Amino acid sequence: MPDKMLTVENLEIKFKLRGKTLNAIRGVSLDLYKGEILAIVGESGSGKSVFTKSFMGLLDQNGKVTAGRITYYGADDGNPIDLTALRKEKEWYKIRGHEIAMIMQDPMTSLNPLKTIGVQIMEAVLLHQKMTRAEARKKTLQYLEDVGIHHPERRFDQYPHEFSGGMRQRVVIAIAIACAPQILICDEPTTALDVTIQAQILALLKELLRKYKLSIILITHDLGVVANIADRVAVMYAGDIVELGTGEDIFYDPRHPYTQALLSSLPQVGVKGTDLFSIPGTPPNLFTEIQGDAFAPRNPRALKIDYLEMPPYFQVSPTHKAKTWLLDPRAPKLETPAVVEKIRNGGLV
Amino acid sequence: MEKEVLLEVRDLDVTYGERKKKYKAVKKVNFKIYKGETFGLVGESGSGKTTIGRAIMRIVPSAGGEILYKGEKINGKISPELDRMVLKEIQMIFQDPQASLNERAKVDYIISEGLMNIEKGISEQERRRRVEQAILDVGLLPEFSSRFPHEFSGGQRQRIGIARALIMNPEFIIADEPISALDVSVRAQVLNLLSDMQKKRQITYLFIAHDLSVMRFITDRIGVIHKGRIVEMGESEEVITHAIHPYTRALLSAIPMPDPRHEKEKKLLVYEPDMHDYEKEPPKWRELRPEHFVLANEREAKEWV
Repeated sequence: MPDKMLTVENLEIKFKLRGKTLNAIRGVSLDLYKGEILAIVGESGSGKSVFTKSFMGLLDQNGKVTAGRITYYGADDGNPIDLTALRKEKEWYKIRGHEIAMIMQDPMTSLNPLKTIGVQIMEAVLLHQKMTRAEARKKTLQYLEDVGIHHPERRFDQYPHEFSGGMRQRVVIAIAIACAPQILICDEPTTALDVTIQAQILALLKELLRKYKLSIILITHDLGVVANIADRVAVMYAGDIVELGTGEDIFYDPRHPYTQALLSSLPQVGVKGTDLFSIPGTPPNLFTEIQGDAFAPRNPRALKIDYLEMPPYFQVSPTHKAKTWLLDPRAPKLETPAVVEKIRNGGLV
Repeated sequence: MEKEVLLEVRDLDVTYGERKKKYKAVKKVNFKIYKGETFGLVGESGSGKTTIGRAIMRIVPSAGGEILYKGEKINGKISPELDRMVLKEIQMIFQDPQASLNERAKVDYIISEGLMNIEKGISEQERRRRVEQAILDVGLLPEFSSRFPHEFSGGQRQRIGIARALIMNPEFIIADEPISALDVSVRAQVLNLLSDMQKKRQITYLFIAHDLSVMRFITDRIGVIHKGRIVEMGESEEVITHAIHPYTRALLSAIPMPDPRHEKEKKLLVYEPDMHDYEKEPPKWRELRPEHFVLANEREAKEWV
């Protein structure tokens, strides 16, 4: 078993909004191992961004971790750090960037338009790695090269507007890498990009993982993107992880009805001339306490107990678990959805 | 049976900027869209696909060529009667539902603004009835009409954008990346809504997107566009299963498939425009397979097939 980089135990995050309490994360536990790519998949509002923002102390003012622990194991001195115990901004400075770095969705807004990209990357190098300006410049050129930007000498002095969307995302990645982090959190890194560029960025992330010995958390709403890159996949719904497994577990043997529904609604699996499967209803209101399985109201085949009691995790295999009563030995046996059969048999291409 | 051509684009050129800074966004583009079908334009950002849609909407002027709607030229100077007809019959759905709705107007006004401009004498009662019908058609509730756009989710906002187009009873809708900004689960709903509307009302679509997997699902025919030129065109299934042009093949290889084993083995193809020797022999349209056209020169035509 590889070393753990981060463990989250029973994490709860609540937001205060206009006098009401929003339960954004409802008791989530998750481990991140060294050198893996862990994907967190979920719809807008499922809490996937909030969840990872809490690793960096970036929750909005009205948001709070109300229970649970986040332990970080990657510190230089080897001592575990309880991230939920950090209070002062000063303490967070030690974590942000140098231990855990983040790449945001939109490369158009995450760069400073008034500074050359070289200066922006070098800033990160000087802040997080002890070296002289000359060394930092050399290192910056190296990073530019590493993220696939040709002619780094010339590109160093250019401004963000002189780069295309895909190239800007590469610059953003270079800045994150320049902090020399252990964990890289990528929040929808390719959503704003073309499919061809998306494929290139995903390939780049895999390359950097190896070269810099990173662990990556990839947040996305698109299960299609995940198959290419993720070692493990966590499916998030209404502030909880409903299924966790390796890529193969999730794509060839999904057990939670929500995971199955997400897979079925991908246009890649649609058949022309027929309606594409779409999930009925909307995600639950997180201002109210949720009873039972949060997905039950949208699941046409929900069992009676789904409305009454929250299912525990059922272990499918050592690497695979899901929170659904369907896995209880007493539950009725349902046939595998057609889409899953199709994916399993390689019938997609 | 001869299919009826609804829209034809002939040798369309669109340029941005002036004199020295001139940039040709669309170069000699030709295609036909038949009544009742969904025609797709697929390409990357900057390929000119949106510009073509905008040229048909007459939001950007064309620099050369013709756009014929029901056989009549609609680009350049046209008569006021034709102008009204085109305004009514051709509608557009935009990519970003966050940006394409007026934040200060209520849904009721947003949906009926076009209607009030075209059917000037419309009674208040009739207007309300039509708005309610349009809202119901897209699967929203009538009481939403008194709300503001910020009260809605992305998928709901996109439905409002669709209602705004539908209320005009259009014959032709240009959908410019209507699902790119939406969550996967909501994408399916919007795609189904669009194809449902097509079945009920025989609407013809020009569907613009960068993702071939969506195209395969929703379009009948597609044109693949690169740097302002269409490089491959034909029936969607034919083009996708027997892609010939290296650019189309590169686009296809980039589609993420929900199949980890397939993804691990797949080779990303990269399209290098330098591969062509068009200096020596310029390319032209060739029918390399039945009803399947590719932009290629003599040598390439032999090599690719």
